[in-house]
Amino acid sequence: MTGTLDLPTKRQEAWKWSDMAALEAAARSDHTAPDVVPSALFLDIEGPRLAFIDGVFDPTHSRPGPVQVTAIGEASEHPLGRLAAGEGWRLSLDKGAATETIQIVHIGTGADNHVPARIELGEDATASVVESYAGTGWANRLTQISLARGARLMRSVRLMQSAGFVSIRDEANVAEAASLVSVFLGAGGMGSRIDGAIRASGTGAYAEMGGALLTRGEQRQEAAVVVDHAEPEGSSRQIWRAVAADTSVASLAARVEVKRHAQKTDGEQSLRGLLLDRTAQVNLKPELEIFADDVKCAHGATVGELDKRALFYLESRGLSKGRARALLTRAFVGDAMDRIGEEAVREAFAEDAGRWLEAAL
Amino acid sequence: MLKIENLHAAIDGKEILKGLNLEVAAGQVHAIMGPNGAGKSTLGYVLGGRPEYEVTDGSVTFAGEALLDMEAHERAAAGLFLGFQYPVEIPGISNVQFLREALNAQRASRGEGPLSGAEFLKLARAQADALGMDQEMLKRPVNVGFSGGEKKRNEMVQMGILDPKFAILDETDSGLDIDALKAVGEGINRIMRKPDKGVLLITHYQRLLDYVEPDVVHVLVDGRIVRSGGPELAVELEREGYAEVTA
Repeated sequence: MTGTLDLPTKRQEAWKWSDMAALEAAARSDHTAPDVVPSALFLDIEGPRLAFIDGVFDPTHSRPGPVQVTAIGEASEHPLGRLAAGEGWRLSLDKGAATETIQIVHIGTGADNHVPARIELGEDATASVVESYAGTGWANRLTQISLARGARLMRSVRLMQSAGFVSIRDEANVAEAASLVSVFLGAGGMGSRIDGAIRASGTGAYAEMGGALLTRGEQRQEAAVVVDHAEPEGSSRQIWRAVAADTSVASLAARVEVKRHAQKTDGEQSLRGLLLDRTAQVNLKPELEIFADDVKCAHGATVGELDKRALFYLESRGLSKGRARALLTRAFVGDAMDRIGEEAVREAFAEDAGRWLEAAL
Repeated sequence: MLKIENLHAAIDGKEILKGLNLEVAAGQVHAIMGPNGAGKSTLGYVLGGRPEYEVTDGSVTFAGEALLDMEAHERAAAGLFLGFQYPVEIPGISNVQFLREALNAQRASRGEGPLSGAEFLKLARAQADALGMDQEMLKRPVNVGFSGGEKKRNEMVQMGILDPKFAILDETDSGLDIDALKAVGEGINRIMRKPDKGVLLITHYQRLLDYVEPDVVHVLVDGRIVRSGGPELAVELEREGYAEVTA
């Protein structure tokens, strides 16, 4: 990374919990030998595969199928997302088309890399995209998603970098009766910022963005998501779990906006934090901004510790304290991971979370 | 098999057990009865190893080992089972997942190999059938949405799967209708009435003792055993009340 970065500051409300110092440090880090190979990150399922090493497409480890590797022209006004310009990948599916699960692996070896992406699904088209981030450095991504009427996209993203920083910016437009489900797992050693702006722009659109952030050591991870209901009868879910150990900080900000016209919106927002140590920190910021009058928006935000009664119950049956804590913590994040539709992907993510817990507890 | 000597225990600095002595030989079922607040549940938790309870004096020997030096999971591996008065609901963890992991943890600490998923499921289904618990409930999250009776049946299914040497059953009869009471009583007899096993039944009422006949009945009042006798003592307590019997 050369030159100076024009980054948001903590004085801006939307970035007050962000760890831009960690992002800058990652951006200025030197390249080192990769600590992981693409084959270790691809799940054993059929379908197209793409590998990006330091943001550059790696054809030897890829069979892109319908995914094009090309310059992406669209711009974003997002302070990090706008930096992700140039060559990236595009998935465009015609009306009624479907693909096998597409896996995209991103490995960083230091410094910064930026990749834009476009996912455009035509009417009633369906796709599932699994992305994995590993290695080090700063990986910055902008993913713009456009779902036509009745289209369905399942997006599963796991942040597994051993160090450095991953920033993700999703900008999605979900048309009438279309469905977007995005699930994120932050279970590596990096800092992160997951940032989403989803617009439910058609009648009966379904939008979901959630996941689990697991932090330990001095790590800081955060998610900041806005779902905007612009038309009637839409529904959305934001189910996020944060687990923080040591002196780490996990932060969740989720907002639901319901425009005046968007009657019969059904929004659900559940933000829950679990402190594994009293020195750790979980920040939750649930927000609802509702201008329609016939709307159902369930919301809840809680932070707590593991239930001592449950711990003793498990221990009394023969589980060690560590196993009991791991089992209860895995159950805690399970709600969020259960949203992943494909069993193989869901199990892989659960295993990643399990491995993180084994190491942290 | 289980020998408790001069046991003193406190919670939040308040002494509950005040010099309790008790010995249960292998092959025996002992019942501990007593009024509310006598320390019955505290005794169960202290023997089970719940960390919030502080043992301030005394000793407990279980199968020749110093029980109080062991952590809760080590006590379980040594063959101790604590049946809870209020079994805990654990969302997100299925019964089978929890019990298979618990059983295999116990087996590992005894130097035995783990049971496979299929072997475990066979064992769990047999125990569920024996206790009249719907097999579907094995797949459900631990105790979540179970009725009081279902939770207690589930405790007995767990006991059947883990097959302990000694069971401390805390108010296992509370919240049970007559069918469930009968099923639970039969479960205790089937699983635990063996020459090399022992049971401590903690109960407020005599009715479970109609199904599981104790060899010895103890009356616990204010942290101490104040009277011991045969099964007829339970009947006397039921008829006369605690105040009368312990006066």
